Amino acid sequence: MKRLFLVCFLLLTLAGIATWLTEPDMGSEVPVIYWATDPNPARIEQVAQFHQWLVQNGHTTPEGKPVVELRLETVSADRKGVIQGVSGVAADIMDCSIPWYQSIGLLADVTDEAKRYGFGIDQTYSALEPLLTVEGRQYGFPCNVNVMGLWVNVETFDRLGLEPPPAQWDFETFEEIGKEFVRRANKPGERQTVFFLNNIQHAYMIRALHRSLGASEFNETMTKSDLDHPGYAGALAKIHQWTYVDHIAASAAEESAFAAESGYSGAGLALFNRGNYGMYVIGRWCLIRLRQFDEPPRVSVSHFPYGEFPNAIIGTRAAAVYAGSKHVEKAKLFLAYLASQAYNDQIVTSADALPPNPAYTQTETYLRPAQYPNEWGAHQVPATGAETIAIASSASPFVPAATVDRYKKMALDKVMANIVTPQEAAAEAAQRIDAEIELTLKDSPSLRRKYGELIALQEKIDQYRQEGRKVPLEWIKNPFHRRYYIHQGWAVEETADVD
Amino acid sequence: MLTKQRRDLLVGLAFLAPNILGFLTFTLGPLVFSLFLAFTNWDLRLHNMFKDEALEIVFFENFTRLFDDPDFWKYLGNTLFLMLAIPFSIAGSLFAAMLLSKDMRGNDWVWKRLIAAAGLIFGVGCLVLVGADASAIVVLVIGLAGLILVGGTLGGTTVYRTLFFMPHFTSGVATFILWKKLYNPSTGPISNSLRPLLESVEGTVAGLPVAGVQGAAWFCLLLLTGLFALGLVKLKAAWQDGELGWLAFLLSVGFLGLPPLAALAWSFDGLSGGLVAGTGLAVLGVVVGSMVVRGRDYPCRSDEGLGSGLMLGGLLMVAQFTCLGLGNVLFGLPGLAAAGLEPPEWLTQYNWAKPSIMFMGLWAAIGSNNMLLYLAGLTGIPGELYEAADIDGASPFQRFWYVTWPQLAPVTFFIVIMSVIGGLQGGFEMARVMTEGGPAGSTTTLSYFVYNEGFSTGRLGYAAGISWAMFALVFAVTLFNWKFGNRQVND
Repeated sequence: MKRLFLVCFLLLTLAGIATWLTEPDMGSEVPVIYWATDPNPARIEQVAQFHQWLVQNGHTTPEGKPVVELRLETVSADRKGVIQGVSGVAADIMDCSIPWYQSIGLLADVTDEAKRYGFGIDQTYSALEPLLTVEGRQYGFPCNVNVMGLWVNVETFDRLGLEPPPAQWDFETFEEIGKEFVRRANKPGERQTVFFLNNIQHAYMIRALHRSLGASEFNETMTKSDLDHPGYAGALAKIHQWTYVDHIAASAAEESAFAAESGYSGAGLALFNRGNYGMYVIGRWCLIRLRQFDEPPRVSVSHFPYGEFPNAIIGTRAAAVYAGSKHVEKAKLFLAYLASQAYNDQIVTSADALPPNPAYTQTETYLRPAQYPNEWGAHQVPATGAETIAIASSASPFVPAATVDRYKKMALDKVMANIVTPQEAAAEAAQRIDAEIELTLKDSPSLRRKYGELIALQEKIDQYRQEGRKVPLEWIKNPFHRRYYIHQGWAVEETADVD
Repeated sequence: MLTKQRRDLLVGLAFLAPNILGFLTFTLGPLVFSLFLAFTNWDLRLHNMFKDEALEIVFFENFTRLFDDPDFWKYLGNTLFLMLAIPFSIAGSLFAAMLLSKDMRGNDWVWKRLIAAAGLIFGVGCLVLVGADASAIVVLVIGLAGLILVGGTLGGTTVYRTLFFMPHFTSGVATFILWKKLYNPSTGPISNSLRPLLESVEGTVAGLPVAGVQGAAWFCLLLLTGLFALGLVKLKAAWQDGELGWLAFLLSVGFLGLPPLAALAWSFDGLSGGLVAGTGLAVLGVVVGSMVVRGRDYPCRSDEGLGSGLMLGGLLMVAQFTCLGLGNVLFGLPGLAAAGLEPPEWLTQYNWAKPSIMFMGLWAAIGSNNMLLYLAGLTGIPGELYEAADIDGASPFQRFWYVTWPQLAPVTFFIVIMSVIGGLQGGFEMARVMTEGGPAGSTTTLSYFVYNEGFSTGRLGYAAGISWAMFALVFAVTLFNWKFGNRQVND
């Protein structure tokens, strides 16, 4: 028995050594870095292209090979990345929410390299600044950019004898067209099988709706929740009305009854193609799937409807460098590659959302891809929207965005289930978020200091507003309020203009 | 020079070392560390290798916060609600085990073929009833049912035992996705099967006088009151016989009295609720009065029979609530039927999501380890006991009640304890895959709450606090079970 045990022990030891020796990193002559991203087949092409880009730009070893080898970790960072990051073992490059990851301290500052290699904020959409920088320092660069909207199946509208919706529309127009659409598309007395749009409960759409009524998740300095603003309750009421009163949007159950979910909207887009949904809440990447259909429909894009303030939500799948990486400097080269023409062209042709650099949305390849004339009516609206009306999400340093989303979802669910009124749901969400802020402050002296400064600023803003004076724009930290104040004529660009 | 004894000890330790080291490193270490965490304000955002915020010992703050946290109570309620399925799952496991313990290896060729043919005819009949345009999954499920019947009749018990145990060794996520399809409100077989049934109910109700249907609702309330009275009488008898202490009596009556009280708020109108509560109070007064006047025949400890009392009270409470719910449904049925009855939106409706998840859990639990334990327990019952029962002329029910059930008491006791522990800790995977804890947190359990606090919000200290509070709860319930639930086991 003893000998058997010894043999087993030796075999296991040998197997361990063999595993260690055959680890992928051991087979590379240059440092290996990992990129935690989504499992999109295009990533393989992008990795190969990055290696080429390194050679073309002189980032090579004396033997002429790329200075670093990039490999994929095709599971998005998300929560797993946080746990790995604080444990010191995260991927070198991560697709992540920069404000959230930076608040934990996981990201390397890339401001200086951005200037040196040309991937600064000026190389992308200005509206993305709050999602890429924290207190003036840059922490990442977009892999792609999305301006979610309502993708319209023009052929479905044609069949019903309706004009496709305009690029921008207010609530009344949206309701009017929506009611007419479902009236013409469904037979009276039968179960409704055609809806004006699929997922009205999408987080981006809800945000755009309540912002259009003047409500944000936070106040101007991100120190308090602003969800008790009547605009948020108004948006919740509208969603309920459009789903259960007007029946222009599919309810959660109706949507799940229709389709099984899978990557890139799965069967949902097939239903959109077939005409069960007149419009689909999604970004430009829907084209990846639509192009796979035998006969992809003619499409156009409309922004989310608005109450009084037209807006769109801009987001990004941004790449950032892990602060604990052994190869921080080499990983930063990847961000430089993301700003290159080769990468932007690849995003444009693969239809993986908008390219990081807006200049590439003005090309013929982007606006009128020769192979896909059915898409020509769709490309301009998101690109223009990204530079005109789009605003980034509001992320407070005092509460995680996931927690805010959870309370917003809770509020929406309660309204949709008729458990509470929209006003009660909104008040509860605001109160819960404020309680979370208090908890965070209790545990962090450094955040308490920062909070104190911002509260003082907020008091000044409130005072200015009460007195009817214009507020200096630099006082406002919430990206929504910055744009909203300008829209309402409540702000001035420079502090010097005040008084 | 080592003595042989010492050498053997060292060799023994060397054999054990990998396991002990693994246990210390990966189980005991993290366990002790999590206990430490529960007394700190550890927040991933603030306390990690990249930050220099000082970690503070907050002593019992995480626990006191827990009691003020409305989410904790709500999610504890959800967890307890889902645990209501435990008695049914145990009964289901026992029933399955008894069926599967039957010897089916006989040579009754004609009988087997008859059953197989009946199964196939049933399957085809269902197909015809559901209609040719039914979804593929309906056809699949019905076809599968036919196949199981044929396979079982030809292959015998082994086939059935394997099939019953399948939910247990199939990957959880795969079965959850399957159930999501089954619950599909439009194309799922559950809703599709219910639809014709609801249509026939609609027709039947439309043909009945409204007063008649609503009269049935009143009958349900009468039944509720009857069950309450029956429970009281049983408890009183146990108290008088010295099988139930006064504390046990009071606590059991507490359970028993919940439905009549709830009727005040939940009954279909104020009058009916008032009548139920009033009658209940009167019956309670009479019973307690007679107890005071007559006294008890045999004295006992105040907590004597607590387990049995609570079991009786709890079971009758569930039955009374069923009557209350049924009464409410029947009262509103004429109106509902006139508007058209539709199957519920199982996983997306606030009031249906929890029962839907519970039902799925019940399905998984019936063919689980519990069934195997009962199978093993059944084989261990001496045949002489059944022979003696047969000689005494016992009916099949009496054989079960006086032989099988008492002989299985140790197994049942073990299953109850493990199920309660599993129930308090469980529910995470199902909710995560099927509903993401929604709608409005209605399917979020305590374990999901721990996940959210730990990995979504990043408050590891608080999450550890919740985990240890869960441990305390599990420990207390297990102690309770141990003290009051194993009387029959020891007998």
